[in-house]
Amino acid sequence: MYALTEEGIKYLKRGLPEKRLIELLKDKNGLLMNDATKLLGGEFAIALQWCKKYKCINVTDGRLMLIGDMPDETKHQENALKEIAAGREPDSNVLQILIQRKLVGKDSEGIVKQAEKFVGKEITNLNTELIKTGMWRKVKLKPYNVETHGKKIYIGKRHPYNRFLQSVRRKLVEMGFQEMKGPTVELEFWNFDALFQPQNHPSRDWTQTYSLRSPKEGTLPEKALVEKVRAAHENGWNTGSTGWGYKWDPTKAARLMPRAHGTALSARTLANGPVVPGRYFAISRCYRPDIIDMTHGVEFNQTEGIIIDESLTFKNLLGVLKEFAVEFAGAEKTKFLPDYYPFTEPSVQMSAKHPQLGWVELGGAGIFREELTRPLGVDVPVIAWGLGIDRLAMFKLGINDIRNLFSQNLDWLRKQVVV
Amino acid sequence: MPKIDVSHKDLCNLIGRKLSAEQLGDEVLFAKAELDEINGDMLKIDVKDTNRPDLWSAEGVAREIRAKYKPGIPKYDVRKSPFVVNVEKSVESVRPYTACAVVKGLKINDTVMSQLLQLQEKVAGTFGRNRKEVAIGVYDLGRIKFPITYKSISPEGIKFIPLDFKEKMTPKEILERHPKGKEFGHLLNGKSMYPLFIDSEGEVLSVPPIINSDHSGKVTEKTTDVFIECSGFDKRFLYTALNVLVSALQERGGIIYGVKVVYDKKSEVTPDLAPKKFRVSVNYINKVSGLQLPVKDIVKLLEKSLYSATVKGKNIELLYPAYRQDLMHERDIVEDVLISYGFNKIEPVVPKLVTKGGISKEQSFVEKVTEIMTGAGFQEILSYTLTSKDNIFDRMNISGHAVELEKPTSANWCVLRTWMLPSLMEFLAKNKHVEYPHTIFEIGTSVIQDNSETRAKDVTKLAAAVSATTVNYETISSSLDALLKNLGVEYTLRKTSHSSFIEGRVAEIVSSGKHLGLIGEIHPAVLNNWALEKPVVAFEIDLEEVFELLRKK
Repeated sequence: MYALTEEGIKYLKRGLPEKRLIELLKDKNGLLMNDATKLLGGEFAIALQWCKKYKCINVTDGRLMLIGDMPDETKHQENALKEIAAGREPDSNVLQILIQRKLVGKDSEGIVKQAEKFVGKEITNLNTELIKTGMWRKVKLKPYNVETHGKKIYIGKRHPYNRFLQSVRRKLVEMGFQEMKGPTVELEFWNFDALFQPQNHPSRDWTQTYSLRSPKEGTLPEKALVEKVRAAHENGWNTGSTGWGYKWDPTKAARLMPRAHGTALSARTLANGPVVPGRYFAISRCYRPDIIDMTHGVEFNQTEGIIIDESLTFKNLLGVLKEFAVEFAGAEKTKFLPDYYPFTEPSVQMSAKHPQLGWVELGGAGIFREELTRPLGVDVPVIAWGLGIDRLAMFKLGINDIRNLFSQNLDWLRKQVVV
Repeated sequence: MPKIDVSHKDLCNLIGRKLSAEQLGDEVLFAKAELDEINGDMLKIDVKDTNRPDLWSAEGVAREIRAKYKPGIPKYDVRKSPFVVNVEKSVESVRPYTACAVVKGLKINDTVMSQLLQLQEKVAGTFGRNRKEVAIGVYDLGRIKFPITYKSISPEGIKFIPLDFKEKMTPKEILERHPKGKEFGHLLNGKSMYPLFIDSEGEVLSVPPIINSDHSGKVTEKTTDVFIECSGFDKRFLYTALNVLVSALQERGGIIYGVKVVYDKKSEVTPDLAPKKFRVSVNYINKVSGLQLPVKDIVKLLEKSLYSATVKGKNIELLYPAYRQDLMHERDIVEDVLISYGFNKIEPVVPKLVTKGGISKEQSFVEKVTEIMTGAGFQEILSYTLTSKDNIFDRMNISGHAVELEKPTSANWCVLRTWMLPSLMEFLAKNKHVEYPHTIFEIGTSVIQDNSETRAKDVTKLAAAVSATTVNYETISSSLDALLKNLGVEYTLRKTSHSSFIEGRVAEIVSSGKHLGLIGEIHPAVLNNWALEKPVVAFEIDLEEVFELLRKK
């Protein structure tokens, strides 16, 4: 036996979509497609499809025109819907069409027969027939061993180190920092010269750096900027400094290298006219030749940034570090030590008392030298800071080898708890 | 950055106080240094300032600490002497300048000797750029007959016994056979003449910057008087190096004598240890520090940092020791005041600034894509951008160019990846023993060479791969479809060829006429190259192109 589907019942009540469309067009000089869509909603597409099939409608320039009478097929189908609703079986050709149109389906009495097969039995899987007919009342549902664990499945999830970095990023944004972006391959100009690190001087070796075999040389930024940087190096320019007192070489500054520290991004940000007051940060991949061991890698992430404002002093510098200690390490106690960075003065290193790790070197900061900021067009104090977050990441992920931050072990990744 | 070894006992003697290792640990902070290791009496101190060679010795560190108890600028006398060094014009094109000194009355024991050698090595090595800018020779004064001549000779023009050897050799032979010749010979590359210090009786002192002679270039415990020369190209470097050395030797009881260095047209007496002058404004100190320090306090703090300070109106006139060459700007004085004051006595104040935080648009797009990919059941992986040419080209059956490092730490890390898929292949290869299927993705940076200012640009790409006993093109094309549909990107797949993939099973991903990436089944030859045993299907797309398309919408 057969019965109407939900859609079949709907059409029985208000008529087939194609019939409604034809009736709309009757006695009218056409109708715009858009208006027909508004009137018929989702049924318009169905109506149009059938009317085209019956060739009783013409479409030109988005306008629908009735060009024939109501087709017999439509009348037959509507009659058949009435027949089925009355419990009679209509002509089999029409029935097949209605089944294809999903207006008619097999009757639930068939389902009853299916369901009857289970009555009185103990069954494992509950099924549609039993639920729909209510005959689940007449079967016994076998209890499972609910105390066994489910079969292992592996879900899609983030790499734990990336998730950690994301949480750092979010926290910095909450603290009012704007993210900076910059290129992996960098000019020595931005990595060194713009940061007032003299050429051919030990402070350039402050960090070991790579150079490139290819490409070797890039293009320096606009001449006006380059000349100011040159003057700062050679004689201090208008900063009140003596400068380094050597002949600055633009070809050395044009050499390319993989970025050795995120401070290169800060230099670019300053040169691009930052917002004042401003807070900026970057989590950037950096590259330094180093012995690869448990605490060193040649490629690593640096988290650092700048704060720019006329009012900033050394007291604020300590305040910034202290705030980081609280936010990132939950540390209330901090110790400040003198430190050296070629581009900041004064420079500070901070140890913070982590609740579990004890005293950790959490970060460093300093105030950029005038010889650096002025040539880049910034005349207010700029605090530069860096955070040693890898140590915290290692603690959080329970690893003691820095190389495992970039873990390539699928088994380990699958087992990691989402923290 | 320079790390120095000092004896605990010696350091205390130089300071003039008995201090425990723990106390010393606190005190060395005044010298911008940190106590790194304690090995019985031996301490390892990490001096962070690369611009303060005067601190790279026990004598220098002690002087800085002692200033707390004995404030004020240290005094240095340079006595007159008859010692002369004649510089011939012939060194002009080789190694043109020298600065020299004589120090008498030293008591050189093991400790003093090792400090002297260490300081000499650090100054010539780190400050003197591995002897390129500054080479230092220290000689037994008693074995030299003045005047000394600094000149140049041909590489085979003379024979003498170099330090640590027993036979006479020409400079050329020294460069070929002596360990120091091999180490530093490159500094004389391409020179037809070599520099030479020689005394009035024809005894060679040294061939700088390579080696001293065995005759006079050896200082022993019996030595009480020394001759020191520094040679190089920039007199300021030489003066600093010489001043650092002789100031340290005065700490050991040495008496400093000047040496007349006579050039072709003029002459000068070195070393010049007269204090240098600097002026700093009180306002500036207080503005940068954020402290409202009374002038007399600032003066006291400066004296504890080895300055002599005199107030002149709103400024302070300073005198500072001649071994320092790092003072360029008033700012440098502020730091010394603050270190002297004590960082931990200063109240940290969080700046009250209203600023707007935000992540970059690119990063927020990356986060969105990550959400879709993990939702589609892919495990995120994370790799290095440094890799090998083998990985990104040969193993993938293709050829190409990548940004390449000059002196890579290892062949495994010598180029920046140009595409992501090899990183995924490497990951699969490392996890063959782990239960399949492997369903992974990575979003990361690839670096492509172009014509921009840095000749290379970063491209953020996404690569995804599935490896299992049975996978096929449909497996991965469904995932790609889910990704792009959920981003709202209409796309088509166009048949293409690529030698990393099986012919007939690889397509180009295209949207609005833009090439977004590739999708397909990895070629079995590539699987063999990675020693993989199960099929891999994968796609890689340029997220920046996708981002651009969506931005234009």
